[in-house]
Amino acid sequence: MTDTKITSKEAIMLIVTIFVSHTIVTLSKNLLSNTKSATLINLIYVGIIALLFAYIIFRLLRNFASLDIIDISQYLGGPIFKNIVGGIFIAYFIGTSSNLLREFCEGLRVAFFPMTNILFILIPFILVLFLTNSLSFSSNIKTVSLVFPFVLISIVFLFFGNFQNFSFERMFPLLGKGFSDTFITGIGNIFAFSGISCLYFIPPYLKEPQQMKKICLTSVIIGLFYFLFCTATVLLLFSFFVDVDEVLPLYSAASYIEFGVFFQRLEPLFMLIWILEIGCYMIIINRFSIHIFQKMTNLKSQKPLAMIFPLFVLGIALLPQNYSIIRFLETNIYSYFIIAVVFVLGITILFLANLKKRKERKNSL
Amino acid sequence: MKHLIKVFCFVIIFVILTVSFSSSYLQVNLDNIAVVVAIGIDKGENNTLKVSFQFTAPSSVSESGSSETAPTILKSIDASSISSAVNLMNSHLGKELTLAHCKLVVFSEELAKEGISDIIYTFMNDAQMRPSCNVVVSKCPANYYIENSKPFLEPLISKYYELFVSSNQFTGYTANATLGKFFDNMICQSCDSYAILGGINFQLSKNAQEGFSTKESADISNSASLNGSTSSENVGLAVFREGKLVGELNAIETLAFMCIGNTVKGFLISVPSSQIENETLDIYLTPSHKTKIDVSFVNGSPFIKIHSKFSGQIRSMTNDSNYLDNEVLKRISEACNRYLEYVFTQYLYKTAKEYKSDINAIGKTSLKLFKTISQYEDYGWREHFQDSFFDVSVDVNVKSSSLLSDS
Amino acid sequence: MDFKKIITDIFTYTPKQEYDFTLLRGTTGNESAETTELVKQNETKTIYPSLNVNLEYVKSKYNSMINSDIVIREFTLNARGKQYSAFLLYIDGMIDTDIMNKFILEPLMLRNKSNLYDSDQNRVISEAVTNNITVRKVKKFNLADYIMTCLMPQNTVKQISEFSTIFNDVNSGNCALFIDTLNIGFDIEVKGFEKRSIDKPENEIVIKGAHEAFVENIRTNTSMLRRSVHNENLIIESIQIGNITKTSCALCYIKTLANSDLVGELRYRLNNLEIDSMLSSGQLEQMIVDNNLMSVPQTLSTERPDKATSYLLDGRIVLLVNGAPYALVVPAVYTDFLSTPDDKNMRTSFSNFIKWIRILATFLSLLLPGLYVAIASFHQELLPTDLLYSILASRATVPFPVIFEILILEISFELIREAGIRVPSPIGPTIGIVGALIIGQSAVSAGIVSPILIIIVAMTGIASFAVPDYAFSFHLRIYRFLFIFLGYCCGFLGIGLGLLAYLAVLCDTKSFGVSYTSGISPLQKTVGHTYFLQPVWLREFRASYLDAKKDKKQEKISMKWKYPFLKEDDLP
Repeated sequence: MTDTKITSKEAIMLIVTIFVSHTIVTLSKNLLSNTKSATLINLIYVGIIALLFAYIIFRLLRNFASLDIIDISQYLGGPIFKNIVGGIFIAYFIGTSSNLLREFCEGLRVAFFPMTNILFILIPFILVLFLTNSLSFSSNIKTVSLVFPFVLISIVFLFFGNFQNFSFERMFPLLGKGFSDTFITGIGNIFAFSGISCLYFIPPYLKEPQQMKKICLTSVIIGLFYFLFCTATVLLLFSFFVDVDEVLPLYSAASYIEFGVFFQRLEPLFMLIWILEIGCYMIIINRFSIHIFQKMTNLKSQKPLAMIFPLFVLGIALLPQNYSIIRFLETNIYSYFIIAVVFVLGITILFLANLKKRKERKNSL
Repeated sequence: MKHLIKVFCFVIIFVILTVSFSSSYLQVNLDNIAVVVAIGIDKGENNTLKVSFQFTAPSSVSESGSSETAPTILKSIDASSISSAVNLMNSHLGKELTLAHCKLVVFSEELAKEGISDIIYTFMNDAQMRPSCNVVVSKCPANYYIENSKPFLEPLISKYYELFVSSNQFTGYTANATLGKFFDNMICQSCDSYAILGGINFQLSKNAQEGFSTKESADISNSASLNGSTSSENVGLAVFREGKLVGELNAIETLAFMCIGNTVKGFLISVPSSQIENETLDIYLTPSHKTKIDVSFVNGSPFIKIHSKFSGQIRSMTNDSNYLDNEVLKRISEACNRYLEYVFTQYLYKTAKEYKSDINAIGKTSLKLFKTISQYEDYGWREHFQDSFFDVSVDVNVKSSSLLSDS
Repeated sequence: MDFKKIITDIFTYTPKQEYDFTLLRGTTGNESAETTELVKQNETKTIYPSLNVNLEYVKSKYNSMINSDIVIREFTLNARGKQYSAFLLYIDGMIDTDIMNKFILEPLMLRNKSNLYDSDQNRVISEAVTNNITVRKVKKFNLADYIMTCLMPQNTVKQISEFSTIFNDVNSGNCALFIDTLNIGFDIEVKGFEKRSIDKPENEIVIKGAHEAFVENIRTNTSMLRRSVHNENLIIESIQIGNITKTSCALCYIKTLANSDLVGELRYRLNNLEIDSMLSSGQLEQMIVDNNLMSVPQTLSTERPDKATSYLLDGRIVLLVNGAPYALVVPAVYTDFLSTPDDKNMRTSFSNFIKWIRILATFLSLLLPGLYVAIASFHQELLPTDLLYSILASRATVPFPVIFEILILEISFELIREAGIRVPSPIGPTIGIVGALIIGQSAVSAGIVSPILIIIVAMTGIASFAVPDYAFSFHLRIYRFLFIFLGYCCGFLGIGLGLLAYLAVLCDTKSFGVSYTSGISPLQKTVGHTYFLQPVWLREFRASYLDAKKDKKQEKISMKWKYPFLKEDDLP
């Protein structure tokens, strides 16, 4: 699989797809419930921190040309450590993606298919994963790069289509819940940038490894703009005083768009584009999980895993019994899991590996 | 053989998915729906709701596009809640009701006084209801109002419901009150919600257009006397506080609301003429820029400064008018200023003191003065709004008359 | 049915058994620095006196070992009783053999009386005697003049001393005569190729372009290509396919442009076909493509020589089959099926407008019925209320559900289309109109279908006719049914995921090593026209996915007349 090489633009699209997929579901509402009216300022602040993290990751990865974090953890702690780290990342990928998929399907169910069992709404996604796992990685990336511009346009259109309904006063009070809530505990909002986890895995795929810095920084900046657009849409449109949680806040926002009498209720069109986006997200996450597993077990080919991992995702997505458990998992468990795995574990491994390398270099001198 | 297995698998999957989605399909597909155009909610007996649904018979909409008004069907049902009313109606009609094309929700005055927040929450929870649906509070029973809503110039009533508020941008006699905005204002702690005030005009028949334009200051829905053919009338606003109806605004007060809220594009006022006694001048005003609202706190009470600027055009003409004289235009402008300042101040004090309801969302402007949300919540804008002081200044610049300048 | 085998096939690893060819980028040498001027400079060479040297040079220049239609006729020339070695160079299919035989070979090869007397005999012009010494003015025997003036009764003969001129004329259909000991060549007019008995193209009609089409005879087709390309680097290799029929196929490419790996791969595929007969280009296409996944066409089929020539000049390869008037162009990517030869003949603003109409037609042809079924089944809130009422009113008397209605109409439309092809020509075109209007209207009056669906199906049909390539529009017609089923099954969820799967498989398809979706993703760096055609002065480079030997096809400032004072160094 690492025979296929992707360009830097495709790598950026890959990472931003992960950012965007989370915003389509309930990320904006989660951010708003943490920091209320100061969310936009908080996002810029957290975005700068994420940018710093991305830069640190680039610097730490630079010493290990074309190696991903699994190889680096093997270098650091041997095959056992590699397997542990690989297992944690697989659990992270599968857990977050199945939760997101389940949440999105719940939204679909409420919006379009009220009488259908959630299993049958999940099944078409799994079938698509079966198909795409049997194709090559480069063709998956090409598919993502085809779908991506439409998602970009849909979010921008959502923002500007709702412009007349915005109340810009909702950006005040500036400090929202308070200075400490905005800037100190508000750092917790960095879980929005969970797509940074892909930075750990893309070095082996890059055609131009020297562009890694550009990829790291550009993807975070584009992701930040995306978050600002989505969060601003939800913040300026709906009141934040009473915590009214929508299943899909952007879907509710889309229902406010109207141009005259003819163009009203355009949400199904937005959902069509978002279904494509969530599909692309699942394809990427699945590919990475399979790749990690292949590295852990030294399998020759990914073909046996092509059907197993999607079924695994389906199983985990079906575990929560009702919507409150899904929201609880997302707000209380996965957000901390993301911070722990992406921002703590990953950087720690890279840092320790760099120290080990420096020590070896000194010893060899 | 492998290809056959692939085709076989595909057929099986297709059949499974079709069967599993069939229940949703049966509920929402085109052949099985009854399209509701308007909902009317009255207070029923024994704590129930009397819900009326208005449909348009689709077979009456011919292919060639008839210019005749399509007949509507109105059905009322007693139920404990909206959802059970929909359920009962489904079983009565044999088709699934769809609220996705509902353009109007009418509440009776009686019900609105008791509070409608639960009903609004239920509507917003429904995935089908449109946030752009108009909300009307009618002074007569809701089903009576809907029954008498007959469009003159539109063949389809759904189009009439969408368009009947569009004239408010150029008259200011009623506002655009949609369900989404109503809900948003209701849950917001810095503003209050409002709805269109509707009623039945019993005087309406041949003098319809004149009846609307001459009686502009004291006009309010349902205020005309009996006899004649009936039609619905939407003039004025219903003011709510925390989901309960607390008062009404007449046409000119609604105009003040629209001007302060920057939602009017132009409107007509009548001011006494400085040249001729007992004569009024009709001036058409358009806003020059957005109304500036400045909030500050004086001894813990809000002090609100409002400044509006308009440019005007004289519409009425007599045989001895002279509008080329700068002094004349200045005097007319000053008369407009005084008139509008009086109207705006009356409106503001009425909503603040009498109704204690901030429908202009001045509270949102005050958010800038607080550093955190807890500070704002501790202050309690809604409680302090009734102690507000207003300083209104209006600057009207009457530029000219229309085609004739001097007679 | 062996279930164990099925499960082991799905879940266990089996080494790849299918052949996989990928055209790797950047493997060819970077010859883009070489401009056309430099190429011209290398050409000027004069003819050698030695016949063998001339022969070797001509053979290497024309690649006569692999070029099948280049003929070198060696013979012995008789002049004034002496014999000289000579050879004729010409291109088969472009000359008139009668003229060559009667007026070139016959007078030069055969003995005749006027040619018999001794060449040593000199002609005495004048004689003077002084002091018993006789001085004679003699004109020495000149072979070239003699042949030119006496031996060759052909209307246009020129004596040329440079190879470039000779080759130019041979490419146009002349023949060249080289004689031992002479350092000039004779350029003889013998053109005899087919002209305009060639018909107009029937299926690829353009407004401004040429109106010639390929015919069944392969030599005529190759001569048309030769005339258009007009360059000796055009290679036309002949390959025979079919054990019984031994059908000759021509593999045409420009040696200095086409990627050698691609040429080698194609040659390999053509030479390794174990079949009895090859009767059409369609059959050949199916035998040589990578896979038939999704029945998407992977080669471009054209009956126009100008279209084939422009693809040759891009660095692609053209295959001709004897007996079929269609040429196959490889490799072909998605965007090639949306372009017509008129695109390059018209102004770019017109071409881009029409191109986007075609892209819209592709979208409508594939998705419009499916979207309608999905909206009618699950998403009726998307429709404006007035339109919804019209649809409900028109559907009030229809007894069938939407899916059944649309299937009836689509299948009827396909039947009418198929019948229109078979019906004899006087009433052939009218049956389409009759079928569509009368049958459609009657169906609406009878209450079988609703009028809105007639519009949907008619729009879809018209859109599929707007797609330029027949095979591609056929592919869209088939997959339209898949999207109809998906839309009926699960609404926009089915259509969205179906579209994703369709795009994924499309991105995975390769046409002779080139990715099928090269250039349609807006963020991939691909040179070559994709969604927008550049103005003609900006078409500097060839398509990068073809990896041609020469990337540049015109200078940065191609209109030198417009910027006469601008030098190369001043360019940004």
